[in-house]
Amino acid sequence: MNPPSPPPFAFEEAYRRYLDGLLTNNRQQCRVCFEQWLEATAELRTLYEELVRRSLYEVGDLWERGRISVATEHLATAISESLLNLTYPRLFARPRLGKSAVVTCVANEYHQIGGKMVADLFELNGWRGYFLGANTPVRDVQSLIAEKQPDVVALSVASAFSLDTLISAVGEIRSAFPKVPILVGGQAFRWGGCERVARLPGVRCLLSLSELEGWIKDGDNHV
Amino acid sequence: MFDDPAIAAAMQAHVWETAPVLALYLDASYCVAGANAQARQVLRGEALGRPLTEQLVDFNRSLDLPALIRQGGAVHQLTLSTASGMPETLGFRFFPLPAGVLALGSLDFQEQQKLRDEVLGLNGELNNLTRQLHQANAELRELNQLKNQFLGMAAHDLRKPIGVIMTYSEFVLDEAGGQLSEEHREFLRICLAAATGMKRLIDGFLDLSVIESGKLRLDLASASVPEIVAGVEPIARLMAGKKRISLLVDMADNGRRLRVDASKLEQVLLNLIGNAVEHSVPGQRVWLSSRWDDQNLVLAVRDEGPGIAPEDQARLFTCFARAGTQKTAGERSVGLGLAIARLVVEAHGGRIWLESIPGQGATFLLALPAQNQRTSQSAQR
Repeated sequence: MNPPSPPPFAFEEAYRRYLDGLLTNNRQQCRVCFEQWLEATAELRTLYEELVRRSLYEVGDLWERGRISVATEHLATAISESLLNLTYPRLFARPRLGKSAVVTCVANEYHQIGGKMVADLFELNGWRGYFLGANTPVRDVQSLIAEKQPDVVALSVASAFSLDTLISAVGEIRSAFPKVPILVGGQAFRWGGCERVARLPGVRCLLSLSELEGWIKDGDNHV
Repeated sequence: MFDDPAIAAAMQAHVWETAPVLALYLDASYCVAGANAQARQVLRGEALGRPLTEQLVDFNRSLDLPALIRQGGAVHQLTLSTASGMPETLGFRFFPLPAGVLALGSLDFQEQQKLRDEVLGLNGELNNLTRQLHQANAELRELNQLKNQFLGMAAHDLRKPIGVIMTYSEFVLDEAGGQLSEEHREFLRICLAAATGMKRLIDGFLDLSVIESGKLRLDLASASVPEIVAGVEPIARLMAGKKRISLLVDMADNGRRLRVDASKLEQVLLNLIGNAVEHSVPGQRVWLSSRWDDQNLVLAVRDEGPGIAPEDQARLFTCFARAGTQKTAGERSVGLGLAIARLVVEAHGGRIWLESIPGQGATFLLALPAQNQRTSQSAQR
């Protein structure tokens, strides 16, 4: 007689425990759920979309509705970001397609987890996603573009106050690298602003991670 | 407006019940007689009824609380020992009352904000560096794999022409040697020796590229100690004899067998014996011996050469590492043999190490587990 097979992993229950851990800033509880999820699924995409992204959207929503403090929101983001490190041994070992992207947040933009998830999404789809981080001066972005010669540059902006800085950064990158396609996106565009960058040559505004994934999967990768 | 008793009552209720402010009522001897909700949470449990000074961190024992209180409305930075175990610095103001003192303490909001921003920023940077590190490791693994493939292909392609050079050099020496002058025969022998050395080098590269790419296959089979030695001894005697080195074989045979890839193990032992011979001068001795301990067969190759300096010993089993000592007849090597030996022994689940005191020779030992747990014919790294 075969031994009884283990019960299927309860993803929704684990998600609830994970979210509870984020909202009570219980890093250890989050880590346990994250590791269980990581073990239960062979597909990292599910973990990114249904655990990390979903919980961060829910945390953001609770903050916007005044249900949690900004400190709780910041700590929840910090916990999520540190747990993403656990996926990297698997994420970076995936087969490569030979394409790469440089992803960064512009100067004075301190929200980096969105940009990091964009870089990771490139990795999930077989690209190399180089991520520079929050508050990155344009000259540092230009240095990495010169070094890596990427197929695309992606700039992430979370705050609408950073749109002017973004447009200025796009101009500087474009003047140094006339041909590299540039993608922009992030929470800053939730209430508009795409039209301001869409008229810049070789620039495309993408409003969600799923839109970005559609663009990555389209073999032509036009902007 | 603040004279309004309703406002004063609201402020008092707020401070006493919810505000993130520490409000302490001290009696005439500066003991804590009352504390608001925040203070009761932050201070250690036994604070009530005890002197406030017992709650303060005062390394130099120079704190003069009555003097601070006499200064009235000035803000004094005092560090409290809190219930969480972490000290916390607050700005305190003291308000003398007829029968005691009201102490109000609060955290510096800007300082707290700066601290939070810095910690979050540092956490972000650390996460980015961790990501870069994982990414760089993945890229290095890819490059290493490419290097192994290149090494394997290059070595494989070079092996054939070198084989041709060796075969035809031997052929000419054997078949037409008599028609050549001694000088020309010597030229051919030099060609043959150089090609033989190059073949050894290429074989080492090939072995290494196979092992490093994780494709080392062990053909495990049951073998006894005498069977293993039988595959090694004739060649080892030939190597030693050429340099007038005595090879002494001392094998403990208690009938036990173990599962090994005999040909790869022979390669390891011949490499160790070859090294021992190359570092010995004519007339010296080299020992090949074995013993069993509870778990392992331990094989040892010992020589009477110059030994190996302690600083060279640790890196000796890595690729291209060579000891500072010269081989006695100027023999050449690239330093792959011991690295390959280590990888082969580890693939068997064993270990290899060295014992040496400079000037007193060297002993290379390898321990192979008697109960080899590997059941597969393939032992991948």
